[in-house]
Amino acid sequence: MRSRAPGIAVWLLVAAVVLLAYLFAPRFISDFHSRELAGAGVFFIAIVGLNLLTGYTGQISLGHGALMAVGGYTTAALAVHEHWRDVWTIPLAGVAAGIVGFLIGLPALRLSGLYLALATFAFAIAIPSLLKKFSGLTGGSQGLRLLEDAPLQVTGLSGTVTIFGHTMTQNHFLYYLTWGIGLVGFLIAWLLVRGRVGRTFRAVRDSEVAAASVGINLAWTKTLAFALSGVYAGVAGSLLAIQVEIVNPLSFTFLLSILILVGVVVGGLGSLGGMILGALFVQYLPDLSTHVSTAEGAPDFIFGAAIIVVMLLLPTGVGGFLRRLARPLTTRLYLRP
Amino acid sequence: MILAFDWTQLAQQIVIGLASGGVWATLAVALVLIYRSTGVINFAQGEMAMFSTFIAWSLVNHGFSYWAAFVLTVAISFAGGVAVERAVIRPVERAPVLTVVIVTLGLFFVVNGAARWIWSPETRSLPNAFSTRPISVAGVAFSISDLGTIAVSLAAVALLWAFFRFTKLGLASRAAAVNPDASRLVGVRVTWMLALGWGLAAAMGAVSGMLTAPALASFDQNLMQPVLLYAFAGAVLGGIDSPLGAVVGSLLLGVLINLIGTYVNWVGTDLRLPVALAVILGVLLVRPAGLFGRPMETRV
Amino acid sequence: MARVKYLILLVLGALALATVAAGAASETGVTSTQVTIGGTTPLSGPASAYQSVAKGAAAYFRYVNAKGGVNKRKINYIYKDDAYDPSKTVDATRELVSQDKVFAIFNSLGTDQNLATRAYLNALKVPQLFVASGATTFGNDYKKYPYTIGYQPNYRAEGTIYGRYVVKHAPKSRIGVLYQNDDYGKDLLAGLQRGLGAKAGLVKSKQSYNVDDPDVQSQIAKLKAAKVNTLMVFATPKFAIQAYVYARKLSWKPLVYMNAVSSAANIMGLSTAATNKKQTEGTISIVFLKDPTDPAWRNNSGMKLYRSIMKKYKGGNPNDVYAVYGMSVAHTFVAALQKAGKNPTRAGIMKAADSLNVTNDPFLLPGISVKTSATDHFPLDQARLQRYHDGHWVAFGGLFRVR
Repeated sequence: MRSRAPGIAVWLLVAAVVLLAYLFAPRFISDFHSRELAGAGVFFIAIVGLNLLTGYTGQISLGHGALMAVGGYTTAALAVHEHWRDVWTIPLAGVAAGIVGFLIGLPALRLSGLYLALATFAFAIAIPSLLKKFSGLTGGSQGLRLLEDAPLQVTGLSGTVTIFGHTMTQNHFLYYLTWGIGLVGFLIAWLLVRGRVGRTFRAVRDSEVAAASVGINLAWTKTLAFALSGVYAGVAGSLLAIQVEIVNPLSFTFLLSILILVGVVVGGLGSLGGMILGALFVQYLPDLSTHVSTAEGAPDFIFGAAIIVVMLLLPTGVGGFLRRLARPLTTRLYLRP
Repeated sequence: MILAFDWTQLAQQIVIGLASGGVWATLAVALVLIYRSTGVINFAQGEMAMFSTFIAWSLVNHGFSYWAAFVLTVAISFAGGVAVERAVIRPVERAPVLTVVIVTLGLFFVVNGAARWIWSPETRSLPNAFSTRPISVAGVAFSISDLGTIAVSLAAVALLWAFFRFTKLGLASRAAAVNPDASRLVGVRVTWMLALGWGLAAAMGAVSGMLTAPALASFDQNLMQPVLLYAFAGAVLGGIDSPLGAVVGSLLLGVLINLIGTYVNWVGTDLRLPVALAVILGVLLVRPAGLFGRPMETRV
Repeated sequence: MARVKYLILLVLGALALATVAAGAASETGVTSTQVTIGGTTPLSGPASAYQSVAKGAAAYFRYVNAKGGVNKRKINYIYKDDAYDPSKTVDATRELVSQDKVFAIFNSLGTDQNLATRAYLNALKVPQLFVASGATTFGNDYKKYPYTIGYQPNYRAEGTIYGRYVVKHAPKSRIGVLYQNDDYGKDLLAGLQRGLGAKAGLVKSKQSYNVDDPDVQSQIAKLKAAKVNTLMVFATPKFAIQAYVYARKLSWKPLVYMNAVSSAANIMGLSTAATNKKQTEGTISIVFLKDPTDPAWRNNSGMKLYRSIMKKYKGGNPNDVYAVYGMSVAHTFVAALQKAGKNPTRAGIMKAADSLNVTNDPFLLPGISVKTSATDHFPLDQARLQRYHDGHWVAFGGLFRVR
């Protein structure tokens, strides 16, 4: 008989390690690097969300950068126009982007694979123009700057933040905030994926006809996935706005949507574990490329080449690779009497 | 009311739309070609076309005559397309579609970066294959170059149709795209068919670049990026698996964007692109495979 | 990996502390042998052509260092990539300030990019010197942001010149404007309207375009249909050339006012070659830098110096006018640093930047000086009008203030 105990013990151990790493990492790295890690955290959240959509229901979206824009601008607009505290806008930013995600999901029902990818691509392209047009709300091509127009709404303006009696630097606060939300989001995604929702998603991905024939409501499932991934992207966008204290159309171009998708695929579609590595890849690689060479064109060349090499070596992403590695191990764990 | 309306301006904007759309059509055909023969959307198609344009410019700069440079560039680009397929796409042929898409995105940066590294970022120009003398008919202006560009796309569509329909190689290529496993069984060298598809698409891209550069009056490493967008939109509108659809879709898109931008005031120039994309989305909802596309069948 | 980095930083930090403690007490980023400054510039992405602003400046600093530096200190100029994305500008600038501990932020490129970091830098009293942007706010808002100063003549002032010129010399013109739909284009347009003053009604049609539009044929056709005879081209080179080409296609030859960004001799040459000499004849523009592609400066000592520095210190493509700009702003920084004295402080260099009087810049047009004062926070505000005749630029009317 298979014993489930080793499986659960392993997962608890992993969870404990992750929790400890999260809580104590800032002690070991510089203040500035905490901030860089917070940036990776933003990608992490967006990537986990997109993975739910693309990895688990098989719908390709090239427009998640635009959903991040919705979240980021919601936060900035609420702070500047309605004087909300920056951190209290996060849930609303997620909801706003979730609604937009749902609205995208509706026409997506009629489009499949390629056409869906191109439709979301179109949305990503259109967003900067839309942001510039409605300049009363969005600040137009100059965007919104929290430090200049809403300094009182910025947490950590003085350089330190005090929570529950603990005082920490603003960078540490950003790190804890972002990865705290990231880990909670990851947990929620993990629970969803393990449960009925995840099975429904996978059924839709693997065969829509089969899924429909066992009574799964395709429309509801697919739009739910879009909405859910939208919420994640919106929260990520909001955290980005809080970190850099600005929003601008130039920060939400098609490149951002590509980076999120690259992060998902490199991390491994349908594999939550690889997502952290996907986020780190996307956060640090562009910067590393400029360190290798600053000759005109070289950073882009190196960045593209790195993406290609990773895809050639690990076509199913890091997550897929790890799963292949881990399979003999967990099989052994499960089959030992 | 009818007399007060400026019909000449309307006709002029339509003609301009056809001219712009004609430029996008050349790249759209390359996109459709690669999709038809390999099932992949190549996000790097525009950058490859841009790279070919620089090769043409270098040849002209080194003393080659325009037409010698043209033919040589097409040949080099064909070889380049085949090489890219063998080196970078073949290893992921069997991988999930999304992996290949990411590879083409990586290729986008690689080709763009390479073009910036090899050639300085100055603005340059390429001679025009056709005359640019302004012609005016009933108060509406255009040039031979506009007609020539559209003619080239239509000629390419016709040539491709003939190739796929009447030659053994074309038949093998279609078979390889539709059902690679069965094709292997009847002796089709599937991987070489894919390489051929990439080569042809790259060659068409080279033609596109060499027509686009003079049509847009100058070029640099950013030449094809806006064009790629509109070419995608036009190809989707016409049906991503139909070369003729790509041309018609691009022409329609050009006219549509100009007319909306001219006559719908609140759209102006800011929202031309989003509105055009919204219209395409509308069309797709009614005809999900585009105007001329074949609806994809789902096998149970 | 982060651990190792932390250790290295710790050691370097200790060394730095020791060095500083050994010498006289000095400002952040200043040691007895070196001054460290930093900025952001687009090294990757679609705006990467503008990086020559940083590379030209870097080459000039290498030249100055080879001659001994300023007050025996070498200038260590670090520039980081922001891919023209203001959120990356924020990250890179914070890294320069908190990790690289720069003395000042210098020559960061872009309007939105510099606006994104302005409040932060001023709060920390880190000088934001010689911002590479033509937006008026960098010179106008010095009361609120005293640690920020721009450099180049601003776009609004340029537009004002064209407006005033039309009012004075061609008050019956029918003006049409082709402008880029961003701060740069809109500032030029706003300046034009200010310069026209009461005659703002001369503008019969305004057509904007987005940077990612492939062509402006439609806009040119609309401008012609509005019976415009004077065309203001507030567009970047690619679209400026298109303006001429599409106008010719419509058999239309308006008088063109070309904004400075797109007036370089090689760009005008491309426009002329793509149309004919008649189409570009009479175009009016302003200029403040020596154009490296203009044969008029071939034997000029300033441009000879420029070319030799570009060659010896690997500044990049010498035909790039942005590199000339970079050298000019670097030259001005050196002057400010000199003025800040033997022990420069951040407040001190800000004071120097606010009281500049540099008359020997070899890269600016003869007669143009770099001047600032308590009421004038625009270092460069002079330019010369020029007219395009028979395939090359001819100056006319002398220098005047671009304010």
